[in-house]
Amino acid sequence: MGRYVIRRLIQAIPVLIGATFLIYWLCFSLPGDPVQALAGEKKADPLVAEMIRQKYHLNDPFLLQYWNYITGVFQGDLGESLTGRSVSEMISEAFPFTVNLAIVAFVIEAIIGVLAGVMAALRKGKFLDQLVLISTLFVISIPVFVTGFVLQLVLGVKLKNDYGIEIFSVSFNEEDGLRAYLLPAFVLASTSLAYVARLTRTSLMETMRADYVRTAVAKGLKRRRVIGRHALRNALIPIVTFLGADLGGLMGGAVITEKIFNIHGIGGLLAQAVYQKQGTIIVGVVTLLVMIYLVTTLLVDLLYAVLDPRIRYE
Amino acid sequence: MRGATQTKWLVAATAIALAATACSTSSKSSDKAASGGGTIAVQLGEPQHGLIPQNTAESEGAEVLNALFAGLVEYDNKTNEPKLRVAESIESPDSKVWTIKLKDGYTFHNGEKVTAQSFVDAWNWGANQDNAAEGLPFFAKIDGSADLAPGKDKKPTTDKLKGLTVVDDKTFTVALTAPFSQFKTMLGYNAFYPLPKAFFADKKTFEEAPIGNGPFQMDGKWEHNQQIKVKRYDNFPAADGKAKLQGVTFKIYDKLETAYNDLRADNIQATDKLPISAMGTVKGEFGDRYIYKPESGVGYIGFPIATNPATYGKPEIRKAISMAIDREAITKTIFSGTRVPADDFINPLIPGYRKGAMGDAAKYDPAKAKSIFDTAGGVPNNTLELGYNADGGHKEWIEAVANQLKKNLGVEVTLKPFEKFGKILDALGEKQYSGGFRMAWSMDYPSIENYLRPIFSKVAIENGSNYGGYVNEQFETLLDQADQAKSPEEGQKLYQQADDILVQDLPYIPVYTYMSSAAYSKKIKNFDTDAQGRMNLDEVELAG
Repeated sequence: MGRYVIRRLIQAIPVLIGATFLIYWLCFSLPGDPVQALAGEKKADPLVAEMIRQKYHLNDPFLLQYWNYITGVFQGDLGESLTGRSVSEMISEAFPFTVNLAIVAFVIEAIIGVLAGVMAALRKGKFLDQLVLISTLFVISIPVFVTGFVLQLVLGVKLKNDYGIEIFSVSFNEEDGLRAYLLPAFVLASTSLAYVARLTRTSLMETMRADYVRTAVAKGLKRRRVIGRHALRNALIPIVTFLGADLGGLMGGAVITEKIFNIHGIGGLLAQAVYQKQGTIIVGVVTLLVMIYLVTTLLVDLLYAVLDPRIRYE
Repeated sequence: MRGATQTKWLVAATAIALAATACSTSSKSSDKAASGGGTIAVQLGEPQHGLIPQNTAESEGAEVLNALFAGLVEYDNKTNEPKLRVAESIESPDSKVWTIKLKDGYTFHNGEKVTAQSFVDAWNWGANQDNAAEGLPFFAKIDGSADLAPGKDKKPTTDKLKGLTVVDDKTFTVALTAPFSQFKTMLGYNAFYPLPKAFFADKKTFEEAPIGNGPFQMDGKWEHNQQIKVKRYDNFPAADGKAKLQGVTFKIYDKLETAYNDLRADNIQATDKLPISAMGTVKGEFGDRYIYKPESGVGYIGFPIATNPATYGKPEIRKAISMAIDREAITKTIFSGTRVPADDFINPLIPGYRKGAMGDAAKYDPAKAKSIFDTAGGVPNNTLELGYNADGGHKEWIEAVANQLKKNLGVEVTLKPFEKFGKILDALGEKQYSGGFRMAWSMDYPSIENYLRPIFSKVAIENGSNYGGYVNEQFETLLDQADQAKSPEEGQKLYQQADDILVQDLPYIPVYTYMSSAAYSKKIKNFDTDAQGRMNLDEVELAG
C-alpha cells in the first residue's frame, strides 16, 4: 500500500513537468500579442508595449523563456503577471474561494445525488423513481448559466425585495460565511448531482440482481443490511470514480458559476489569463489543477480497496 | 481494519482542508455598507494595474483615481469645458510656454503639501520610458520628452523633462516642443495628477494604497478582486467641496448582470455600467434614478485605404457605403437605443461638435448611394469584406450593415470575425487583412483635437489609431495651424475646418456614438456621471 502510494507520487513528477512544458508551449504559440491584449480596445503605445515586452522577456526565444520560468518555479517563484502582480499571490487569493465552493458543491452532490439514486432504485417504476428521472433530465438539459441567473433573481433579488427574506445572497459576500456558498454551490453541483443520481440508480439496480445479494436475502438478513452493507458498497465503485474525477472538474470548471455569483476564484483567474494570453498565470493555475487531479485520482483508487477488499495494491 | 483506518484518514484530511479554508475566509470581515450612517457601495471592475495615475489608461482604475485625486483642471459636467481645480491659473501667451499657478490648501492624504514639485516629479516619472507607464504618450508634447523616451533599445539620457521648470512652491512652467492650443484641456487626464514623495520611496505599497490629494483617501489596502474602500479626507479644501459621504466601497464585479441584481436588491447603491440585458426593464424599475446620457465614444467602419486602394481608394465609394447604412435602424433595433446615429466625426459631448456636420454623407439614401456607387465604378469583383471582433457584441450590427450594403448597393458582402480586437489590429498591421473593419474611439480628454489627430493624422499611422493609412496634407496643415492658435476658441474653429476635410474624404465612416447608462438606489441622491463615464462620488449624499 505505502509502496503503491509512493510509486504513484513519483509517477506524478514527469506528468507535472510534461504538463507545464506543454501548456507553456501552447500559450507561447497562441497568436496575438499579450501586451496588446491588456490594452483592450485601444492600441497599445508602441514604445510602452516594447518596454513591457523587454521587462518580461517576451522577446526571448521559447526555450529560454521556459527555462527562466521553470528555474524560477524550482526556487518557489511562480513569476509575475504582466500587470506586475505575483502569480503565487494571485493564486493563493483565489484558491480558498474555489476550494470552499468545490467542497460545498461536492457534499451537496454526493449526499443528495446518492440518496436520490438509492431511493429511485428501491422504488423502481414508482412515483419517486419517475420524479428523480424527470427532474434529473430537467436539470441536465438546462445550461448552468440559466439555472444560475434564474435562482439568483428569484432567491436573491425577489425574495428579499418582495418578502424581505434574505437567506441567499445575490453575489458573494465573504462575511456571510457558509451561507454565501450555498446557492452557487448548488448551481455548480446541479448537473453532476443529476448524473450521480442516475448512476447510483442504475448501478444499485444492477447489483440488487447479483447472486450474493440474493444469497444475503436468502440468509434472512434485514433489508437495510442487505442494501447498505452488501449491495450499495459494490454499487458505489463507479460512483466514487465519477465523484473523484468530478472534484477536479469542480475546481477548474467553475468559471460560469463563479462569474454569475461574483466569486473570484481559480476559474475566473484562469479564464481571464487565457483571454489575455498571460502564460505565467495559466501555467501556474493549470499546474495546481493537475496536482489536484493527481491527488484525487489516487484517493479514488485507494477508496476502491476500502469498498471492495478484493482489490488490493501491493 | 485497513478499510476503517483509510476512511478515517480521508475524513481527517477533508476536515483539515475545510478548517484551513474556513480560517482564511473569516479573517477579512468588514463592516456592512450603510450601517455607519454615511457609507455606500458601488460597482467596479477589477482595475488592471497598481493604482498609479501615470500608469492607468483603463476606466476602472480611473474611476478609483478620480475619487482619490484632484487634477489641475476638471471638466464641467454639462459643457465639458475645462474648469480650474488645483490650478489657480493656466496661461500662455503663445500656446507654447505655459505658466501654471496652484491654489493654496491642497494636501496629500499623508499631510504633505501639494506643490509645483509634486506635479513636476510625477510627470518626469511618467515620461521616462524605463518606467513603462501607460500614460507615457501624454507627455510627448513636453519639451525634452525625447530624451526620456528615446525609443526601443535606447536608454534615456536624463530623468528630468527639460520643459518643466519649478519657479516657486506654487508656480511651474511647461514648455512644449510645439504650440498646442488645447493643452489646458489635456490637464484633467489622470496622467497629469501629482504624486507625493512617498510614491518614489515605495512604489509597491503605493500601488496597493495610493496617497492622493482628492476628496477621498484609501481606507485600508486594495483587496484584489473583492473591494477597494475609501473614506472622506477631512483636510480637503472646503472651497473645492469636501465629500459628503463618510466612505465608499467599490465592490468588484466580473459580470455587470450580477452587479445589476445586487443593485436591485440594494446590496450596492449605484452602478455606472448597466448590462444590455437590463435595458428593457431598468426604466420601469428605477424611474428617474436611471441616468441615460451621451458618452464620449464613436463607433466607425474603417477602410484600409493604403493597403487596398483598388476597393476603398475612392472617396465616392466610401460615401456610397456611408449613405447605404441605415444608422437609425441599427441604433434603434440592434442597440435598443443605447447608441445614437453619428452625424459628425466629433462626439456631441465635445465643445466644437456641430450637429449634422457630415451632411449628406450620414443621411440614409439608398437610391443616391447606389447611383454614386455605380458612377464611381463599383468595387473589384463586386465584393466587400467586413471584419469585426467577435468578443464585444459587434456581430449583430456588422451583420445588419452587411445586409444593408447587399440590398442597397447590390454588392456581395462577406463577414470576417476576429477572435478579439487585438487580432484585427495585428492583421491590419501585418497587412494580412484588407477588408473594412469596425473601429471605435473614446476620448482621453474632452477636446475636439482628440477626435482628429490620434485617429486620422499621419503620425497616427505609427503611434495612433490610423489603421487605414489615411493621409491628407491639407488636413495635416490645418491641424498644425489649430495647434498653434493663440486661444482654444480660435483653435477650435481651425479644428472644425480639419473636420470638414474628413467629411469630404471619409477615411472612416462614423456610424454611431455611445450613450452611457447608470442607475442608483433610493438610498442616495445627487448621483451623476461625467463625460468619461465616472461617478461624481464626492457630491453624492444619503437620501433622507
